[in-house]
Amino acid sequence: MTRNVVVTGMGVVSPLGNNIETYWDGLREGRSAIIKREYQAADKFSLTVPVAPIDDIDDTIKSLGRDMLRADRFSQLAVIAADEAIKNSGIEFDEALGARTACIIGTGIGGQTTLDDGYQAMLCRDRRPHPLTILKIIPNAPASHLSIRHGLRGPTFAVSSACATGAHAIGVCADLIRSGSADVGLAGSSEAALSYGALEAWKAMHILADETCRPFSKNRNGLVIGEGAGVLVLEEEEHAKKRGAEIIARIAGFGMNADGNDMINPSVDGASRAIELAMEDVKVDDPAGVYVNAHGTGTLLNDPTETKAIRSVFGDDADALVVSSTKSMHGHLLGAAGGIETIAAILAMKNSIVPPTVNYEEPDPACDLDYAPNTAKERNISVALSNSFAFGGLNAVVAFSKP
Amino acid sequence: MAEYEASLLEIIKEHAVGLTGELNRDTPIADLGIDSFSVVEIIYEIEEKLNVEVPFNANENPFGDMATVGDLLDALDKLIKKK
Repeated sequence: MTRNVVVTGMGVVSPLGNNIETYWDGLREGRSAIIKREYQAADKFSLTVPVAPIDDIDDTIKSLGRDMLRADRFSQLAVIAADEAIKNSGIEFDEALGARTACIIGTGIGGQTTLDDGYQAMLCRDRRPHPLTILKIIPNAPASHLSIRHGLRGPTFAVSSACATGAHAIGVCADLIRSGSADVGLAGSSEAALSYGALEAWKAMHILADETCRPFSKNRNGLVIGEGAGVLVLEEEEHAKKRGAEIIARIAGFGMNADGNDMINPSVDGASRAIELAMEDVKVDDPAGVYVNAHGTGTLLNDPTETKAIRSVFGDDADALVVSSTKSMHGHLLGAAGGIETIAAILAMKNSIVPPTVNYEEPDPACDLDYAPNTAKERNISVALSNSFAFGGLNAVVAFSKP
Repeated sequence: MAEYEASLLEIIKEHAVGLTGELNRDTPIADLGIDSFSVVEIIYEIEEKLNVEVPFNANENPFGDMATVGDLLDALDKLIKKK
């Protein structure tokens, strides 16, 4: 018997808002959370770059309790997002369900700020690193904290594939449920890598935008790093129906592959194959009902490559569908990108509104799709895709359909 | 020992989330509510404060057969004198 996987809960912490409602308000209104900020270290280093930070979360973090106060920020954000998703899903984990629940939470980098603090303690203050440094930085920390916090004892681990992490976590968790390894899963990703050291490293790669993120616009010149977390409650369909849960969306497909080509430069073939795999079992009656939440980083190479990939999969239908990059508003959350962008795709489908690509100023002949420039679009959506294409040539695409 | 005792008690108190009554030499270690995270933190703080190295493996029960806070303070006193 085929086991279908549905989404019954969502939770988010993002530069646009720290719950589903405020996140959606920001997306719908086309609000940009990107600002310029100075980062310092050891009283002698500093750099100023555009970032998409979260500034109004301290009280919520304090309310998480003692265990989480001793965790890195990327774990704290994951737990806030997961708690919201669990609450919205109405699910209650008893002993038996805990044993049948997976927890797949990824990160691109891990406890970056803790690691920075540790090095600064050693090199600048002649101190040892904090004794919990290792427990804070390990990429599986969010999955482990959530397992302990909610008594989840099914398959539990972290996924790491840079910017494709979140989509991989959700796709892999859905596969675990489909194959019978679990009945329920928490799936998503988290990132909190806005530290002096990390931003210098990004800057050294010459991939950061000067001012802001302008996906698909001819004057785009790079990405803007953001922080946050997004978590879904996934559930086997019959399990969800039996407990009377509201089904928000179905997982209609998942495609993952690798370019096998280059650490930096994306490939049209790899990206289009991943989209094809995600769409394999998806029936599209009307291409105008397809929304693609693009990877859309605003880098010189990603956007035309992604455009070509979408064109190669959808052919002539590509002109009917609508594509947007919400990174123009919340920045690039690296590992957490797929976590919060899948939620943007689902919310767009649920509310029949496509969030815009803001900061769009100049058409680029190499980016010639409908990107919902600058203002949201009303659109009846039956299939929503979330594209994620990572440094290192790793691709993951999740397709959602209406319940 | 007296000069360290107050600050050691202060460190322990910070982490003793299970403690309901007063913290003194007679308080049973079992009543402190110290978890595995806190043990690592307490030892680090003691090492920093007293400039000693506490012989401790994170996978072992750090309190051995100590029963009270007094036993713990005595063990630390021995460690400091050995320095």
